[in-house]
Amino acid sequence: MRIVCPFCGERELGEFTYLGDAKPARPAADAGEDAVFDYVYLRDNVAGAMSEHWYHSGGCRAWLKVTRNTLTHEISAVEPAAGAGAAKVGA
Amino acid sequence: MAEFSWEVRSPLERALVAGPFGTRGDAGVSLTEIRNFDLIQVMARRSKAAHMAEAAKGRFGVPAPDTPRAVDAADATLIWSGPDQFLVLSKSGKHAIEALGQAFAASASLSDQSHARVLISVSGTKARTMLAKLSSIDLHPDAFSIGAAAATSIDHTSVTLWRGTDGPDGQAVFNLLVLATFAESLWHTMLDAAAEYGVAIAHSEA
Repeated sequence: MRIVCPFCGERELGEFTYLGDAKPARPAADAGEDAVFDYVYLRDNVAGAMSEHWYHSGGCRAWLKVTRNTLTHEISAVEPAAGAGAAKVGA
Repeated sequence: MAEFSWEVRSPLERALVAGPFGTRGDAGVSLTEIRNFDLIQVMARRSKAAHMAEAAKGRFGVPAPDTPRAVDAADATLIWSGPDQFLVLSKSGKHAIEALGQAFAASASLSDQSHARVLISVSGTKARTMLAKLSSIDLHPDAFSIGAAAATSIDHTSVTLWRGTDGPDGQAVFNLLVLATFAESLWHTMLDAAAEYGVAIAHSEA
């Protein structure tokens, strides 16, 4: 598997580290215990297109948001995660 | 209180033995450690990337690389190391961290890496063939021209790799920066990869 880093270009899997689901968003401070439990522990076991965080640890050290099909490993989109490369994200 | 006597020496001091190595005859690969350089990491502060680029242009007279490239200025090389960041490689202290502080005070954070990295120059007729055994990126001249740079991994070790100006023999010259504590390991890996072509080992002080 290869990932096309938006900063470096196409690189082998060995340069990247997998973090996991990019969907969960931190709930508001007053959202309640169930929402926090869900955010911290509960994950969907997706069969199909999934949005994931990957870290280009062996390269430019940017966090990436990768859309990958968990059945085929086909990658349909790669973009910088929020905060990675301020110039590109505008963060 | 104990007194320490600090001696500056290369992380490759033990591993590097100048002279020929491997197959005898004309060396296909030259491995040269470049010692005594200044290396400063420049990283833009949040939303200051454009400001940092201006400061770099003012200081070095050339735009800082915003894609994986190494740009030669009059007395320094600016090497892309990641989004909104680059390395300043120079010598003789002209662009040491004290000298750069003022220029980037409002736009970027600086970190002195001069003694944290080892700089190795790889050249010779078999340089690319040897690196192809170790690196997964395409170093063919069509894909990796003079000035191309990459933040990548060799032998599971992060390196900054770039192609410098061709040598006097017209052959490509690849430069790489590796973290000091990984340098000895990478050095042995490169020697193993290059042995079959014959290696000329040297180090320079300049």
